Amino acid sequence: MTTRREVLTLAALGMAASAVQPAKAAAPSGQLTVGVHITLAPTWLDPAETAGIITPFMVLYALHDAVAKPMPQGNPAPSLAESWSATEDGLSYEFVLRKDAKFHNGEPVTADDVKFSFERYRGAAHGLLKDRVASVETPDAQRVVFKLKNPWPDFITFYAVASGAGWVVPRKYVEKVGEDGFKKAPIGAGPYKFVSFTPGIELVLEAFEQYWRKPPSIKRIVLRVIPDESTRLAALKNGEVDIAYSIRAELAEELQRTPGLTLRPTVGSAPYYLYFPEQWDAKSPWYDHRVRLATKYALDYNTINKALTLGYSHITGSIMPENFEFYDKLPAPVYDPDKARQLLADAGHAGGFDAGFYTCDAAYANLGEAALNYLGEVGIRAKLRPLERAAFFKGYADKKYKNIIQGASGAFGNAATRLEEFVVKGGNYAYGSYPEIDELFPLQAVELDHAKRAAILAKMQRLLDERTMYVSIWQLAFISGVGPRVAQPGFGLIKGFVYTAPYEDITLKGA
Amino acid sequence: MRQFVARRLGYSLLSLLLLSLTIFFFVRVTGDPAALLVEPGASDDDIAAIHQQFGLDKPLWVQYGLFMLNLFRGDFGQSFYYQTPVLSLYFDRLPNSLLLASVAMAFSLIVGIPTGILAAVRVGRLWDSVGKLFALLGLSLPSFFVGLLLIMLFSVYLGWLPSSGSGGVLHILMPAFALGWYFAASHMRLTRSSMLDVLGSEYIKLARLKGLPQALVIGKHAFKNALIPVVTLAGINLVLMINVAVVVETVFAWPGVGRLLYEGISFRDFPVVQGVVIMGGAMIVAANLLVDIAYAVIDPRIRVEK
Repeated sequence: MTTRREVLTLAALGMAASAVQPAKAAAPSGQLTVGVHITLAPTWLDPAETAGIITPFMVLYALHDAVAKPMPQGNPAPSLAESWSATEDGLSYEFVLRKDAKFHNGEPVTADDVKFSFERYRGAAHGLLKDRVASVETPDAQRVVFKLKNPWPDFITFYAVASGAGWVVPRKYVEKVGEDGFKKAPIGAGPYKFVSFTPGIELVLEAFEQYWRKPPSIKRIVLRVIPDESTRLAALKNGEVDIAYSIRAELAEELQRTPGLTLRPTVGSAPYYLYFPEQWDAKSPWYDHRVRLATKYALDYNTINKALTLGYSHITGSIMPENFEFYDKLPAPVYDPDKARQLLADAGHAGGFDAGFYTCDAAYANLGEAALNYLGEVGIRAKLRPLERAAFFKGYADKKYKNIIQGASGAFGNAATRLEEFVVKGGNYAYGSYPEIDELFPLQAVELDHAKRAAILAKMQRLLDERTMYVSIWQLAFISGVGPRVAQPGFGLIKGFVYTAPYEDITLKGA
Repeated sequence: MRQFVARRLGYSLLSLLLLSLTIFFFVRVTGDPAALLVEPGASDDDIAAIHQQFGLDKPLWVQYGLFMLNLFRGDFGQSFYYQTPVLSLYFDRLPNSLLLASVAMAFSLIVGIPTGILAAVRVGRLWDSVGKLFALLGLSLPSFFVGLLLIMLFSVYLGWLPSSGSGGVLHILMPAFALGWYFAASHMRLTRSSMLDVLGSEYIKLARLKGLPQALVIGKHAFKNALIPVVTLAGINLVLMINVAVVVETVFAWPGVGRLLYEGISFRDFPVVQGVVIMGGAMIVAANLLVDIAYAVIDPRIRVEK
């Protein structure tokens, strides 16, 4: 006999999500043009190709829909499924689909489509999901049951948050038009229908009025690629676009000064931090906990934040994004240079020391320069070594760096997946580990009780902080601009998602 | 003549082969494209899956062999980023580049040639100095800077022209000017020096001694001969404009092959970079081949000498 858990909560969430549907909505009207900073790829039109990056979701949220996905109501919240439940033994997850969900061709979304989409999925984490899922069963058109080989508490995280496996495409249509045909004319179950796509240039979408959650308010949405930041801002000022993504530093200040335009910062899911790869080497200064702690007190976080991101990034004490499941809020670091100098003196470095290289991704060398100045003020003298992004992360993963690393991660997952990669023994980016943290990791991996698991993971994060294994800096803000025609741009409605969404919630003034 | 053409054709094919080899290996020195397709911290499995999908797990020489084999079949491969055949992407963008290059070339000739003539006729005087300043600015101001100044003036302050994109006559004016100014300056300089050469020749002196009006000497006798090197240069420049307008197309979000190259480089999309460079190289080699053959047809001594 199986005991259902979570179902009441999630069913309630499902009802809450449905409740936003107005009794009679006005017909969609107007056009919203978004100036996009990154090149649009055709793979983003197909959930099966979802890479482990956040950008494809900019398109997926418009064109497609998922069984469950991050939404304002929750992360994840029920979407095409009105509820889900797990068996007590953690080996089976059942999703109940809503009856009013339709694809853009008018066909209903069925359990068969969900199963097909999962089996067709070949994007990020597909190997992991397919290794752990024994079978997908469809007892009827509204119910889908995922049977796991072994209990896996992170199944929902990977299925509904950290991959595109839960996003649903119409089986019959895909089989009819083929893989290439689907990319050329995709049909989804999202709030907007596909109209046209010019690779790298422009995507045009039109409102799908039968969308189950509510009909979109805007008739047409155009995502237009404008690679140059200054041109994007000019297009926003000139009224050619209504939203311009990624406007930074001085241009963001200019945007802020421009009458009629609004600056919309959104904090994403990428915390930045300092890491000391030699902290396990007894001959290194970084072995002494006081030196690592001195580094933590040496940085003037708020001044750096104001200078580089107008104060919109979140100063954080954690290497976990705030929106991650099992995130444990740790005290934010404070700037106290006197305390830093005292700690260094106590550690035998009263005159400071030569700390070697400060290695970072060249795209964020400005953060490195600011941090190095503050470190130098207290006597930690290091040389900046900015490396091209891919080379930086390869060297980082190959464990080639010494001294100080300025790192970041925007990878999907939860606190456990982040600890696995960056903290515990054997992690891809862990140059060493602490046994008291390591021994807790396998315990949480098999713990099916959510509260108990959360407690173990919180303890691991606190130990991480106590050892000052990392010095967290900030969770970076992504700054965009909004023009005068837009009433609700949709930024920040979904926590940790830096683009405008859900699209059906976006409105124009006077519409 | 046949032997000459065959030899030139052989050199051209050899150039293209060397170009393919160079671009294939150089593009791979830039790093691993998989690193740009996943978030930092992605698992090894995800990265390995991307390597396998794009054939990057094979030895380099095998990758090159497959690349050349497909190239001979007219297949430039599939874009890593767009998951679309490179040739299809290229030909989708080519008409936009041809349009931009044509307008920019027209602008550069309309401005460059008269300014060059005026500077040569008024050598050492005000017009010559104005012409030199025009050429100096055109050749030294970076096109992205010119582009941004134009956007600030005509889009943001005056609101006359759209800042970016394509689709209407107004869209092309600023990118064509930003691209054409550099070439207008080079056409102006060549016209000026070529005109000065011609104006100093014996037959022009004779025409003047005969009492022909200045306008006739310049317009009929000098201009035609001075124009030959300018037209030759303009032909080569047109090919360059089509293929290397990377900065202008990026600043103005103009959907041409230059922007495609920029996107290819940004995403380490090896097939796109290889495809655009080889297509551009093929155009330049073909243009040079045609010029060589044309010269050989006009002047038979060239066939013998070479």
